[in-house]
Amino acid sequence: MLIYRGLSRISRISKKTSFGRRWLPSHPLLSGASHSAAAAAADSSVKDSGNISLSKTREAYSWSLPALHGIRHQIHHQSSSVIEEQLDPFSLVADELSILAKRLRSMVVAEVPKLASAAEYFFKMGVEGKRFRPTVLLLMATALNVRVPEPLHDGVEDALATELRTRQQCIAEITEMIHVASLLHDDVLDDADTRRGIGSLNFVMGNKLAVLAGDFLLSRACVALASLKNTEVVTLLATVVEHLVTGETMQMTTSSDQRCSMDYYMQKTYYKTASLISNSCKAIALLAGQTAEVAILAFDYGKNLGLAYQLIDDVLDFTGTSASLGKGSLSDIRHGIITAPILFAMEEFPQLRTVVEQGFEDSSNVDIALEYLGKSRGIQKTRELAVKHANLAAAAIDSLPENNDEDVTKSRRALLDLTHRVITRNK
Amino acid sequence: MLIYRGLSRISRISKKTSFGRRWLPSHPLLSGASHSAAAAAADSSVKDTDSQEQLDPFSLVADELSILAKRLRSMVVAEVPKLASAAEYFFKMGVEGKRFRPTVLLLMATALNVRVPEPLHDGVEDALATELRTRQQCIAEITEMIHVASLLHDDVLDDADTRRGIGSLNFVMGNKLAVLAGDFLLSRACVALASLKNTEVVTLLATVVEHLVTGETMQMTTSSDQRCSMDYYMQKTYYKTASLISNSCKAIALLAGQTAEVAILAFDYGKNLGLAYQLIDDVLDFTGTSASLGKGSLSDIRHGIITAPILFAMEEFPQLRTVVEQGFEDSSNVDIALEYLGKSRGIQKTRELAVKHANLAAAAIDSLPENNDEDVTKSRRALLDLTHRVITRNK
Repeated sequence: MLIYRGLSRISRISKKTSFGRRWLPSHPLLSGASHSAAAAAADSSVKDSGNISLSKTREAYSWSLPALHGIRHQIHHQSSSVIEEQLDPFSLVADELSILAKRLRSMVVAEVPKLASAAEYFFKMGVEGKRFRPTVLLLMATALNVRVPEPLHDGVEDALATELRTRQQCIAEITEMIHVASLLHDDVLDDADTRRGIGSLNFVMGNKLAVLAGDFLLSRACVALASLKNTEVVTLLATVVEHLVTGETMQMTTSSDQRCSMDYYMQKTYYKTASLISNSCKAIALLAGQTAEVAILAFDYGKNLGLAYQLIDDVLDFTGTSASLGKGSLSDIRHGIITAPILFAMEEFPQLRTVVEQGFEDSSNVDIALEYLGKSRGIQKTRELAVKHANLAAAAIDSLPENNDEDVTKSRRALLDLTHRVITRNK
Repeated sequence: MLIYRGLSRISRISKKTSFGRRWLPSHPLLSGASHSAAAAAADSSVKDTDSQEQLDPFSLVADELSILAKRLRSMVVAEVPKLASAAEYFFKMGVEGKRFRPTVLLLMATALNVRVPEPLHDGVEDALATELRTRQQCIAEITEMIHVASLLHDDVLDDADTRRGIGSLNFVMGNKLAVLAGDFLLSRACVALASLKNTEVVTLLATVVEHLVTGETMQMTTSSDQRCSMDYYMQKTYYKTASLISNSCKAIALLAGQTAEVAILAFDYGKNLGLAYQLIDDVLDFTGTSASLGKGSLSDIRHGIITAPILFAMEEFPQLRTVVEQGFEDSSNVDIALEYLGKSRGIQKTRELAVKHANLAAAAIDSLPENNDEDVTKSRRALLDLTHRVITRNK
């Protein structure tokens, strides 16, 4: 049913060359002892005739299953010399992510105990979460590694490479701090609404502490940004904070027309979700000393990936883990947040707009809206739009300057893989 | 009663020289048409040889402050109307307020102007001077944005308490919008900071935000021992009040290309000025516009915030500590505390501590490298004058 341009691309990108070309040794999978492990893994996958199957029965996409990454799939290619390795983008950077997580926790150590526990709490939670953003950024960093044409003296080269990698990791850390700060500010204040003013001191202190903890994280992020000594990067990420605020405000303060406008919704979605990834991808590129064109490609990847992610998120809020309507949590619509599926449905059924304008405190309105949604092509159109953005993201990766480094290739494939995963995920 | 070392100093610094030495023409009082007015003013005061010109630090920088205020309002224009009005509101209020911080920073900028030894080509020199001044004004703007952001975050959340959960959507949106507006201002401040292309300055002012947060948290989460500790109180006061001024004064010095020693002097001035300011603030909360107790708003103690006068009184009357630990929701406890305070030397000791810090601030100005530029001298006198005003103000 769904056609992934990227899938066909994966079958074509099957050149696994081991030129023995020098790659930047700062990549944890390639330094020291772990090098042999990675090499062994690469070897074993070659021996293993496990390939990814691009069978004609496209409905049997086993990677539409959530528990994808542990499973090997059989692919039968026309050319048996072309082997696909099952990529797990997340495991590609798992070690590095642990280092980042440790460093992040040390960066948010606060003098005042309560502040420390508030700030840390979300990082513990975040650590257990998907760590989607840092994964994207670390993969992008490798994908954009500038090849070393003339080998310099080994020591100098290594040092420079390591320093660059550290700076790029710092972007990932800063991005997480900004993200968590915005969560602290948004979510807890939403809670204020639902707790209906059970006004104990703990309650107020809880909110106030959340605001303060968010501020604290923002200030740490600023200090970390300053240490990068790159004005453009500071500006990019400061702009992200502004976008997060603007997006949240847009969501809070919509007029009736705005709520029913797809353009407004996409703009808000960019601000709230995609701006962070897009601008931090761009920052990664700038730190790597890439050209403005490449920086824009990195930006485009992040932007379209983020938009695709959010659109599928919107769908899942209705469908949940089943393909049918109504099994999702429906939390958006219950909070009066009108998302893409409903907006598309309104185009087909203008009468739905009346229901939307009445609001959804009355849960019977929710049922009516779901009914219209079911009759409409709202869900499908949203998925199609998500695929369109995922494809744009993939196109951005494809447009990157050619680079035959094995790690660069691997990372780019992983980034492409992510554009599929955001589309096919069921939760 | 109060001895101002600075006052005697002012009478000694009566050398008003008009070397005709070139000063940096970016000072609004000195450009174009206003030049002759300023010169005329200078002349008339020279004739009046040893008399003191009544310095009003605020009017010295009033014109520049207007420019800053305009620019600030344009810097916080937001795409989303509600966000814009939330962000702007405090700037309208702030504009009508004392504008204490920007005044200090602009005076400091002039006071630290580096004298031009070899006159360069006029155009280049002017351009450089103007650019420096603009950058220093930017510090003042950033400082205001950070200050207002912290107000938005602190004050409105305190209101949440007093409004007792009358939970209309406007109420919640009011709070949420206040938090968002504060974030918005912080992000604009960061962008402005980045534009200065000076890592140390960015770090300084980012640290200020961290200090504001830490100070507010210290105030919220004190243990019993901490609440009764003068050291803890002074540390919290530094974080909450003085850090912003001290670090932005230091940033002014760094932008001016001054040495590390001078930067530290600027920092010390700001820090001690800020501490002195807060200590008098504490006193006024008890005394108000009268010299006697109890005419002040008493808002600190009613919110359970224990300030310097009470802390001093507790040293004299340990039994006051029991009352403090009971808390002040019961207003009879407030009366008891006021009684102890009246019997103690709490108010006087706080004033004395404020004077000590004001003198330290004045000493920092005195230690600045010698500079006979008339504007530099004027600004330094104005900064000294501020150290008196923070002590003697009654409101």
